[in-house]
Amino acid sequence: MAIEQALQIFVFVILTLMTLGGGLAVVTSRNLFHAALSLILSLAGVVGYYVLLDAGFLAIVQLLIYIGAISILILFSIMLTRGLMTPRQVQRNEQWWIAALVVFLTFVVLIVALWQMVWPIADDEALRTPNVAISQLGEALVGPYAIPFEIISVLLLVALVGAIVLARETENNQGSHAEAGSSE
Amino acid sequence: MTLTQFLVLLLPELVLTLVALVVLGLDMLWRNGNGSRHLLPWIALAGTVALLVAAVLIWPLGSTGGAAITFTTGKDFGGDQTPMMVLDPLALFFKLFTAIVLALVLLSSGNYVRAHIRFHGEFYALILFAGLAMTLSAAATNLLMIYLSLEFLSITSYLLTGYLREDERSTEGAVKYFVYGATASAVMLYGFSLLYGATGTLDLASIAAVLTGSVIPVHWLVYPALIMVLVGLGFKIALVPFHQWAPDAYEGAPTPVTAFLSVGPKAAGFAVLMRLLLTALPGFQLDWISVLAGVAIVTMTLGNLVALWQSNVKRLLAYSSIAQAGYMLIGLVALAPEAHSWTTGLNGLLIYLFAYLFTNLGAFAVVIAVENHTGSAQLDAFAGLMRRNSFLAITMFLFLLSLIGIPPTAGFVGKLFVFGAAIQRQMIMLAVVGIVNSVISVYYYYAIMRQMFFGEAPDAPPFDEGPGLRVAVGVAALMVLMIALYAEPFIRLASDSVSLLAASF
Amino acid sequence: MLIEFIPVLVLFALATAIAVIALVLPAFLGPRRPSRAKIETYESGKLPYGDARYKVPIGYYKIALLFVIFDLEVIFFYPWAVVLRQLHVFGLIEMGIFTALLVVGYVYEWKKGGFEME
Repeated sequence: MAIEQALQIFVFVILTLMTLGGGLAVVTSRNLFHAALSLILSLAGVVGYYVLLDAGFLAIVQLLIYIGAISILILFSIMLTRGLMTPRQVQRNEQWWIAALVVFLTFVVLIVALWQMVWPIADDEALRTPNVAISQLGEALVGPYAIPFEIISVLLLVALVGAIVLARETENNQGSHAEAGSSE
Repeated sequence: MTLTQFLVLLLPELVLTLVALVVLGLDMLWRNGNGSRHLLPWIALAGTVALLVAAVLIWPLGSTGGAAITFTTGKDFGGDQTPMMVLDPLALFFKLFTAIVLALVLLSSGNYVRAHIRFHGEFYALILFAGLAMTLSAAATNLLMIYLSLEFLSITSYLLTGYLREDERSTEGAVKYFVYGATASAVMLYGFSLLYGATGTLDLASIAAVLTGSVIPVHWLVYPALIMVLVGLGFKIALVPFHQWAPDAYEGAPTPVTAFLSVGPKAAGFAVLMRLLLTALPGFQLDWISVLAGVAIVTMTLGNLVALWQSNVKRLLAYSSIAQAGYMLIGLVALAPEAHSWTTGLNGLLIYLFAYLFTNLGAFAVVIAVENHTGSAQLDAFAGLMRRNSFLAITMFLFLLSLIGIPPTAGFVGKLFVFGAAIQRQMIMLAVVGIVNSVISVYYYYAIMRQMFFGEAPDAPPFDEGPGLRVAVGVAALMVLMIALYAEPFIRLASDSVSLLAASF
Repeated sequence: MLIEFIPVLVLFALATAIAVIALVLPAFLGPRRPSRAKIETYESGKLPYGDARYKVPIGYYKIALLFVIFDLEVIFFYPWAVVLRQLHVFGLIEMGIFTALLVVGYVYEWKKGGFEME
């Protein structure tokens, strides 16, 4: 048990270094492309957190969606944009110290709040056997969470439509004025 | 609950989804040059009528008490049967509200869409989907469902804002809207997670039960959670200081979308705010009332003061709508526990929203008509409107009176109820700031009136606004007068709609 | 529990170690005598031309967008598929509705030329 605890702390420290270090690099790197790569490191740290928290499915989702798909999308959009590949981006503006102050205050408030709080859920029986089986997730998805589940499919349909509306260069399906009006 | 009951309770949402899908499908089917394409807006409009009919049909099911919408498959899923949504008077009110918003926006967008928009079918479908998200968020009783439906509404709004891809301001507005929105919803989600951590449940009523029955001090967590939730909802309603996105998004968006944005997401935000604060956090009333009172004062004042300097009517109305949200917030701040009094604050909020719906959509319909004709939404585009189109000028005059709150218009009734509630609760300060702000607002609304009636536009010919816009403007103007002159049924509707919420409080 | 993930940790450590060794060791052990041919991008291969930092066509972006959305949809199939048999017909119908909306989106993309590179 002691070994496992030590291992947990060791892994936690490494993950925290990954997540926070990656996050710091995202907001300080002068090269936007490097910032995006650092984001991947940070997201990978979060995968580890999910594993530590026994949320195996979430870890896989995080890996597939955030690292596998969204990071790629971000990298694409950087490569697509003229001038963003050159390492000359300055990430600070004249308001950086206000932002830093707000972030610091939020941090202090949250630390105090989380420290003072007696978590009611911490001594819940459920927490001692936390391994949520993926089958329970499946049952919840079509059971009590059926309405959100179906709404998600409508939302994704809207996103598909949006992808076409925003990213399609020309159209082959509309009136003729559109061609005349487009300035591409 | 049987499957049939379940589907009946969801009838309005199902109808709306189906019609939106039909519009999308027909858009694919009717290719370029097909003469039937002009039917698309009418099908969408029929969808809003169907939504209205469906809402009226199931009205008796929800008007007496809340009917929780729970999905059961005949299988026991570990006893976790927390409802996601509810069909109660408030949800019904917002279904009705959504149907009217959609109908007015669709009626006034026809000519504009033909002239400026590239993907017609998608545009109408997205408007309908945004309406669906509004009805869902007003009915959601679960934090997960609230987040999902608000995000649904936001994503659809971002898309519609950036719809004019060749127009730089449209893209700029959409990007600003998106960046602000993503941040605000992340903060709100963090707040939800704190609430969940403190109570172990996502259901609003259960959260209140756990919080009041708790022996451990929970305020350490609820205070940050409350602030974070207010950030997310404040963004949706465009309350100061989370309003910076609004002027750019409103100015850049296609004008029918601006009309929708100024009413739809605002109303959904207020619906969620009311339900969340009153159902989940009634024990923290003193805390959120003091925060919201401050926000209301700042919102009214800043919205009005910045509006004074605007020369673009869309931007002017954007700041005006920020200020209007501040007035509405007074209704929530001044909510009264005793239900027998004529104004409970909450009913004032709903009356104000209802009046604002017709007033603002009417005003935007006039802006669309002028923009269709002159290609500009600057103040001087309105010069001499009285001579060019007296119908539009007179109705616009009426809408502006209503926005100021001068009788006999709907805006007056709304202001009477929210300011009345503030005075009744001894919140004289709020009422005074509200009235002073209403007086300030006369100045910039008058700028539009002056252009319309006394502006010089020698070579501007008269023009016709087209049938769709004429109906939209006409109906809106009629309702603005109706709410003022035959206020009684509307007041009863608003009071009934909040009765359950006020009773649980 | 965490113990199950020890192989992952070992793999992680090995991968890091190999990467570090492969980069650090040659710097100390290998002789450095660069010549023009050696420092070319593809040694003994095609001669590179142009700039690597050119603007990628927007078509790729659209493909990436579609990939994210379909990827998200597929994720929802995993937990459902595990309990497919226990859910009986209801689960099938619900996933049917979910999939039907996905198919509407798919057909839409197809019809609008979302899968064509421009």
